[in-house]
Amino acid sequence: MNKNAKKRTVMRRVLVLILSLVIILPLIPYAVALVDGPGAVPNPGAQLWNEVRQRDGASAGVSQVQAVDGSVFINPYGERWRQFRMQQLVPIGGWLLVGVTAFIALFRLIRGKVPLEGGRSGKLVPRFSVNQRVVHWFAGTIFVIEAVTGLVLLYGRFVLIPLLGPEGFSATAAASKEIHNLFGPIFPLAVVLMILLFLRGNSPNMVDVKWFAKAGGLLKGMPASSGYYNGGQKSWFWMVVVFGIAISGSGLVLNFPVFGQGREIMEWAHVVHGVVAILFITASLGHIYIGTIGMEGAIEAMTQGYVDANWAKEHHDLWFAEMEKAGMVGVAPNALEEVKRHDDIDFKGFGSPGAKQKEG
Amino acid sequence: MARMKFLCDAERCIECNGCVTACKNENEVPWGINRRRVVSINDGSPGERSLSVACMHCSDAPCSAVCPVDCFYTTDDGVVLHDKDICIGCGYCFYACPFGAPQFPEGGAYGSRGKMDKCTFCAGGPLPDNSAEEFREYGSNRLAQGKLPLCAEMCATKALLAGDGNVVSDIFRQRSVGRASPGIAWAWGVAYGKPGIRSGRDMSGKASSEE
Repeated sequence: MNKNAKKRTVMRRVLVLILSLVIILPLIPYAVALVDGPGAVPNPGAQLWNEVRQRDGASAGVSQVQAVDGSVFINPYGERWRQFRMQQLVPIGGWLLVGVTAFIALFRLIRGKVPLEGGRSGKLVPRFSVNQRVVHWFAGTIFVIEAVTGLVLLYGRFVLIPLLGPEGFSATAAASKEIHNLFGPIFPLAVVLMILLFLRGNSPNMVDVKWFAKAGGLLKGMPASSGYYNGGQKSWFWMVVVFGIAISGSGLVLNFPVFGQGREIMEWAHVVHGVVAILFITASLGHIYIGTIGMEGAIEAMTQGYVDANWAKEHHDLWFAEMEKAGMVGVAPNALEEVKRHDDIDFKGFGSPGAKQKEG
Repeated sequence: MARMKFLCDAERCIECNGCVTACKNENEVPWGINRRRVVSINDGSPGERSLSVACMHCSDAPCSAVCPVDCFYTTDDGVVLHDKDICIGCGYCFYACPFGAPQFPEGGAYGSRGKMDKCTFCAGGPLPDNSAEEFREYGSNRLAQGKLPLCAEMCATKALLAGDGNVVSDIFRQRSVGRASPGIAWAWGVAYGKPGIRSGRDMSGKASSEE
């Protein structure tokens, strides 16, 4: 009996021991894990997903597929670029273009066409050489082509698809892309020529500050003094330089996707290209308006190379005084003949009065 | 309606590139174009992991959002497709896509881009199902035949899963539960964390051929 009771006690203890082990043993790894901490040895699986999301910077993967950015799991900057294009560039750029156009229209309504106050004198003053005019229209033509095709690609989805339908717009957009990409690479040349031929006389000075203070003489009864170029023209020239270089550089990066440049570079190039293009086009609206239909007697400077003496007196009084002193005013009554002859004989003097201006 | 999804199991992918080859063969994509690619990290080292990447057929697809000609559309199966007769090859989808899915054959002057090509989830394009024109432009339309994408069907280790997102995630969830989660129990940190088990035996410089 005693033996049996002892046996039962032992069995009971063994049972308790087994039960406790059954409960405790599986917990040991948890306890070990708890002591080690979860980060003791990084799980390669977790590391993979950190790489995928590029949490620790650029991914350094490898791939058998040879392609640009082929070894990159995820390009997290694509979404940033998408937000920029769809939430900022398209709406803000659109409102800027519409706003400036509306502003010019308002100016037209209030001020009307800026007239020649003194009427036409019949006397001409040489203003731009034939080289300057050729380069100007060369750059201007490419600029307009690039601006129109670029705007088609940027806003066509919202403006033109409802008008032309998807197929019609696709043909338009495809042509725009080809034209944009074919003419684009010539624009840097135009920018360089513009800089070479128009740099003289475009250094800013105090006259320009006063000119801006008087709103460029655009308001009635508030004439602003200016030399060969006024503050607005100088600003436009320096915009052509800065925007022209930026838009050319970024455009070349985008136009030739064959040098292995990655998506991040091209996204940044597109940001620069888009922002500068919008600013460039916006500024050009003012230049084109005031140079053509906005001001009487202005366009002749770039078409004929000559301006009326009264136009020079009213808008570039300091330059006119210089030209008068140099005996360059009022050459002939039949303008076109004279323009041609002067172009043929010497255009050295034209467009380089900046040298004289330096004294002032 | 089923929402089609790809899922690649990094614990199973062995970087065999079978999916890439299967895709190229099934869809007869041109030279230089790979609709799918396998990317590895820590290649050749312990902890190497690979994933097969292609178009992930996003619900809110960035490619579609930025497309200047609006050529993308999402099918009722949740597959993001595009119309090559509308596409102008501008490359914007390539900038926006996180996965690098859009591919471009060389199209014209200055090596400019041709019409974009990408994974279609083996669902062809907007042309009539399984027509010759559809095959030429977009490749195979297996979904119209009631089949799933060939890349996943051919995957030897069943790392790459494709199909109804609910089923795919159920399969993956079951696998993950079986493997336990990282950091606790029999996960990597415990199994390989103790130096006693995985410590080196000072075998450097020793090799049987030197005896």
